Amino acid sequence: MKVQLIYYPDCPSHERAMELVRQALQAEGVQAEVETVRIETEAEAQRYRFIGSPTIRFNGVEVDPLPHLPYRLTCRTFRHEDGRLSPVPSLTMLRTTIQRVLEEKRKDVSGTG
Amino acid sequence: MSVELGKPMLDFQLRGVDGRMYSPSDFADKPVLVVVFWCNHCPYVRAYEDRTIALAKEFADRVAFVAINANDAVKYPEDSFENMQARAREKAYPFPYLHDESQQVTRAYGASRTPEFFVFDQSRTLRYHGRLDDNWENPSEVRQHYLRDALLTLLNGQEPPITQTEPIGCSVKWK
Repeated sequence: MKVQLIYYPDCPSHERAMELVRQALQAEGVQAEVETVRIETEAEAQRYRFIGSPTIRFNGVEVDPLPHLPYRLTCRTFRHEDGRLSPVPSLTMLRTTIQRVLEEKRKDVSGTG
Repeated sequence: MSVELGKPMLDFQLRGVDGRMYSPSDFADKPVLVVVFWCNHCPYVRAYEDRTIALAKEFADRVAFVAINANDAVKYPEDSFENMQARAREKAYPFPYLHDESQQVTRAYGASRTPEFFVFDQSRTLRYHGRLDDNWENPSEVRQHYLRDALLTLLNGQEPPITQTEPIGCSVKWK
């Protein structure tokens, strides 16, 4: 699985986000390297379709995609299952995205997708 | 320029979301004044929003809170004056929410993050600067209540046990 953690260094949440990504991968039994991409300019934010830090993608599938937001250099807000707003996604949000990606992959392999 | 520990607060005149102009003298009846640099869009502000509101309510009889937003609303439209008004209404902020459109006040204070707290004593000398507590992620796992401890000790006429912490949050969005 290709895992990307795209971050803006001015936003302090990326280290915690990395811990959570690793926990989620381990919990789902997925072995994968996490590629980190550092965003420092607005041009890079455009290129990576970066709406805020951290942006996390598993096989290109974004955790909590918010397509209405512009690409820009800032921190990103995640709404957890309990309604709490946080600078990082919850473990559940990460695991759910990984499960979705694995399910899609299974469908592709079995030809049922 | 910036406001440093042991130094006096700087004057300001800023418009609140209620349309009124506010300056520090409006809070002269309170022995402690908390100035917090704030905004709408930052997740750290959102994470600390309920905790800040709770503290402002808890200390309402003796501590004045005032929030100031300076973010560039062109690039961050969530931080426009109209959206500030909406957020203050939605969350029923128990403190004035002021717009630093020129960003001059925020620059003068030397604030660089949202949220970033400045606590002034009765003589309006800076006695605490930094973050609210030590756990932005989980309120139930907070071990150090920096802002609360500063308020309690100042109200007892004592020095806060910790006077400075590193603010954590989004950078101020300069124009």
